[in-house]
Parts: sequence; structure tokens; C-alpha cells
Amino acid sequence: MSSLILFIAVITVLFFLLEMAPGDPIQTLVGDVPLSEAFRAQITAAYGLDKPVWERYVLYLGNVFTGNLGFSFGTNNEPVLDLILSRAGNTLALAVPAFLISTIGGIILGSIAARTRKRWLDGGISGGAVALFSVPNFWFGMLLIMVFSIWLGWFPTQGKSPYGQPGIGFEYLVLPVITMATSELAYKTRIMRSSMIESLGQDFVDTARSKGLSSSHLLWRHALPNALLPMVTVSGYSLGYILAGSVLVERVFGWPGMGLLFIDAINRQNNMVILGVVIVLTVVIILVNILTDVVYGLVDPRLRAQFSPQRTLPPEGRQDRQSDEVAA
Amino acid sequence: MTQQETHMVPPPETDTPAPPDGAGSPPPARPDAPAGAAGRRRPPGTERSPWRVFLRKPSTLVFLPLLGLFVLIAALGPLLVGDPSATGNAELLAPSAAHPLGTDHLGRDYLARVVNGGQISLLVGFTVAVLCMTIGLVVGGLAGYHGGWMDTLMVKLAEFFQVLPGIVLALVAAALLGANVFIIVAILSITMWPAVARIVRAEAMRISQLGYVESARAAGFRSVRIIWSDVLPNALPPVLVATSMTVGRAILIESGLAYLGIGDPSHPSWGALLNSAQAYMRDGWWLAVAPGLCIFLVVLAVNMLGDALNDAYNPTVGRVK
Repeated sequence: MSSLILFIAVITVLFFLLEMAPGDPIQTLVGDVPLSEAFRAQITAAYGLDKPVWERYVLYLGNVFTGNLGFSFGTNNEPVLDLILSRAGNTLALAVPAFLISTIGGIILGSIAARTRKRWLDGGISGGAVALFSVPNFWFGMLLIMVFSIWLGWFPTQGKSPYGQPGIGFEYLVLPVITMATSELAYKTRIMRSSMIESLGQDFVDTARSKGLSSSHLLWRHALPNALLPMVTVSGYSLGYILAGSVLVERVFGWPGMGLLFIDAINRQNNMVILGVVIVLTVVIILVNILTDVVYGLVDPRLRAQFSPQRTLPPEGRQDRQSDEVAA
Repeated sequence: MTQQETHMVPPPETDTPAPPDGAGSPPPARPDAPAGAAGRRRPPGTERSPWRVFLRKPSTLVFLPLLGLFVLIAALGPLLVGDPSATGNAELLAPSAAHPLGTDHLGRDYLARVVNGGQISLLVGFTVAVLCMTIGLVVGGLAGYHGGWMDTLMVKLAEFFQVLPGIVLALVAAALLGANVFIIVAILSITMWPAVARIVRAEAMRISQLGYVESARAAGFRSVRIIWSDVLPNALPPVLVATSMTVGRAILIESGLAYLGIGDPSHPSWGALLNSAQAYMRDGWWLAVAPGLCIFLVVLAVNMLGDALNDAYNPTVGRVK
């Protein structure tokens, strides 16, 4: 329910913000040529811009819930939703691998750093994470292009596939995905390291250690499940950041995704497309947040304990049960 | 930032009664205590001040001067280098003695442009951080201390700004309202204050439960005064850490906007320089290196200083047994 209010609030604020914007979208649409009054009136009516703001707002809001995001303010008059969906696949082709690499890599690197705390390996990982976290990711992308595309010639500089060919070429995918993944990887490594250190300091880890378990067993089987909780939250947010960051990364690599569409729409005052992209982003982020809560419940051992028959044993019995599990 | 929220700050020193011999003066040295034993546990109340721990950390010793250097260059540098918009007839010259950072596609001295570009980035970063800290302290302090509808309202507002990542809102708003420095500072502050406010709120909630706030309330002090003189000073360390992160993020977002061509055209910043450098990566690699390196070093410096501050104030967090 509160997500719904949030969603409507985002649309409302942006709708009126765009309404207040200076500049004349119709002139932008036509270009730098003189415009006759009759033609202007015709276009204004065609886009429904002659109606009062409130009427258009209510109409738009109603349309959004039926999946109609309006029509692009361009020569083709495409439906905004189709326009976005035609680009969404390209953005996901970058975002999904970047999300997976950064999450899995962050869990592994953060755990290793926590395990080797205050030694050189931890120093290297933690220092590298802060450094990568501080790099502007579009600049990182530019450096990758300079080194790997221009100097070494291993990867193409721009675009998503060889000229004139449909689909996505793997060699075109490598650099943008790396660019997108790095800053998130750095952030997740930091989070994972601190939550793993906290987890390793808990009493149940001491208990397990006193039973003579190997330290890798201790790390991966006992400390990890608890340390993963903050990671779930962070990962939820990170998908939003990856999608938002795609604006920059797609610009660097000339990647025809939603981010490039967004920038294009902003430069041309294509208000319906701007709104549409933000709405799609908001829906994705809200859905991911809901999903995050669900996953959190599944991963949290304390919450899981309420549903699992094994864990409902009285406290003194639980110890035995745990050692049974370990023996098994 | 979630990571700061999980860090619990040790109870502030004001919580423990002050030593009877007066504040500031060191406690009387015990003759039997071995002098200068490293790593020795100090008696309660005589721990080394977190500020001194912070100032003596190796990373502080490196990055505080580095940040100072950048601030100095931004403040005085433009007076020392030449006119950043003076065009020469030598285009795309590689770095040399005459032009330490080379020249750009219009033959302008790149060092002059990079030095001038730093002003915007640093100005935006620090102004946004100060504004966010101020808003965050007021809103977070009131919400955390009072609770009730104020708290609900703040949490909802913060949620609104957290649904959409700052750069998206900043892009839309900057594109619409035009992009001069003031507007960019305003937009970034509006989108970034919730991160600070959430930390202040959590701290204020915790501190409000403590004994000395209780007694201040019993003594009949007004709540504004309690918040100002009892709650906020003790909430400051985590807030400073969050603020330092804000500086870094604001600089990154500002340069990203400028890279996308949404920035103040009359004051080119590092991001704007990178925007024009993109077209010359093949022929003028140096154009893409210097501004990015500057952004990176400044953001790295503030992030490292934030980390060092955090470590100094939370030495016990996550200690492995």
C-alpha cells in the first residue's frame, strides 16, 4: 500500500515538474523553423496539450495503471511503453551480468577480506575496494576503452554488435559490463567484509570453533548465512543504482539501452518518454524492494526458525540437534 | 548508507562522570603504572581521544594533506595558471614543459582548464555536504527525539527520495530548471539529505534513551535545548562519517551530470572536460586522464578520511575474537 502511494507521489511530482519546465516542446519537435499558428494549434490538439493541466494529469495517471504511458513526442509518435521495452532488453543485458558479478564477487572477496583481517590480503582487498568505490564509473569506462580497445585492440569501442547486424555481440558486452559491475562490486565487498567480521565475532561461531570445526567450514557454513543478511538489503538497492548508472555507462559505450533513451529524451524535452522511463524504473525498484523483503525472510535464520520444525525444540535440545547436523 | 547504521557507537564520554580533578587536565599518573606500554588497556575515562587517534592514522597523514592540496589549488590555482579559455594555435599537443598537461582540441592549455575545473567540483561537493548535514541534523534530530508524526513524515520523505536514485532525479530536474551551480547544489542537497537524516535519527533515538537526557528532561529543559546541547553533539561522529561520504557522492554525481552535458556551461568542471575528451580519446589520451584522476583522488581522499574517522570512533566494531 505504501509502495503504491510512493509510486503515485513519484509520478505526481515529476508530472508537474515537467509541466513547469521552461521551453516549448512543440518548437523543439519541429526544429528551428518558423511555425504557423494553425499548425501549432493542430499539433497541440493532436497531443491533447490544449486541455487543462489537471485534466491531463488525471488522464495520464489513469492511463499509467492500464499500461499506457502515452506517446513519444517525436516524428514517429511511437507509444512510450513500446519504445522503452524495445530498449529494456539491451539495458538488462548489461545490468543482469553486472548485478550477478558484483553480488557473487562481493560476497567472496568480502568474506576473504574478513577472514584474513588485518593481513596483507585484507589490506589489498579493502584498499582496492575503497579505490574502486571512489572512481567515477564513466571515467573508468573511458580508461577501459583507451587501454583495451584503442591500444590493445581487443574489444570494440562502441555499440552493441557489428555494424548492421542484429543482436548483441559478446565482445561488445565485456567492457560495459565490467564498468557497470566495478563500483557495485567495491561497495558490496565493503559491506560483506564488515558484516562478516561482525558475524565471526558472534558467540555461536565461538561455540562452533570450540567444537573443533575447520575454519573454512566455520566461515562458509556458520558465519556466512548470518553475514548475508545485510547483503540482501544492499543487493536490493544496488539493482536500482545499476539501472540508474546505466545512463552514464551507456553513454560512454554508445549502448542503445534505456539510459541512452533517457538522455536523448531529456535533451529533446520529450516529456512523455522522460516520465515513462522514470515510471518503469520506479516500478522495477519498488518490485525489487518487495522481493528483497521476501528474500530477507527466507535467508534470515531467526525468521526461518519459526517455520522449520527442527528449530522449535526447547533450548537444551537445540544444542544436540545442531551437533547432529554438523555430524551429518 | 546501510553500513553506518549497523555500526554502533560506544557510549559517549559525557555519559560517564567527569574526573573530579576537572576536565581537560590529565588524571594523576599512577606511579606503579608502566610508562608507555603499547597496547595496554587504559583505565576508563582516560582513553586516547578519538580525534587524536584519527589524526595519527597513516591514511589520515596521507589523505588529509592531499585533500588540503586540492582545496588550495582550487582556491589559489586559477590565479597562477593562465587564462583557461585562451586558444593557441597548437591543438592536441601532448604534455610537455610548456604545457604540463598538453593542450586540447582548440589549443587551450589543459592545465589551466583542469585547475579551473576543480573549483566547481569541490564547491559542489562541500556545499552539498554542509547543507545535507544541516538538514539531516535538524530533521533527523527532531524526528528521532520526538517520534510521532514528525518521525513518520520524515521516514516517508526519506523513502520518497530513496526510491529513485539521486542521479535520475538530478538529471530530470537539472535538465528542466537549467543547470547553473546553485541549481545543481540545491537538487543534490534535496536528493541526498535523507542518507544523513536517517543516521541522525537512529542516533537521536538511541541517545534519547540514555540517562543524562532523561535527567535533563526531568530538570525541565526545553526539548529544543536538549536536542541541541545533549543529543546532537553526541550524535556527531557517525554524522561526520556520513557527511564525508556525501562529499564524495556529490562530487561523483555532479561530474556525472556534467559528463552527460548537464552542467554549468560557463564554468566547465572536471566532468565537462571529460565530456569533451571522449571525442579525442584516440588522438589525445591525456585529455581523458587528468580530470578523471582529479575526481578520483578527491573522492578517494574524502572516503578514506571518513573511514579513518569511523575507525577512530568505533575501534571495537567487529573485533574478531
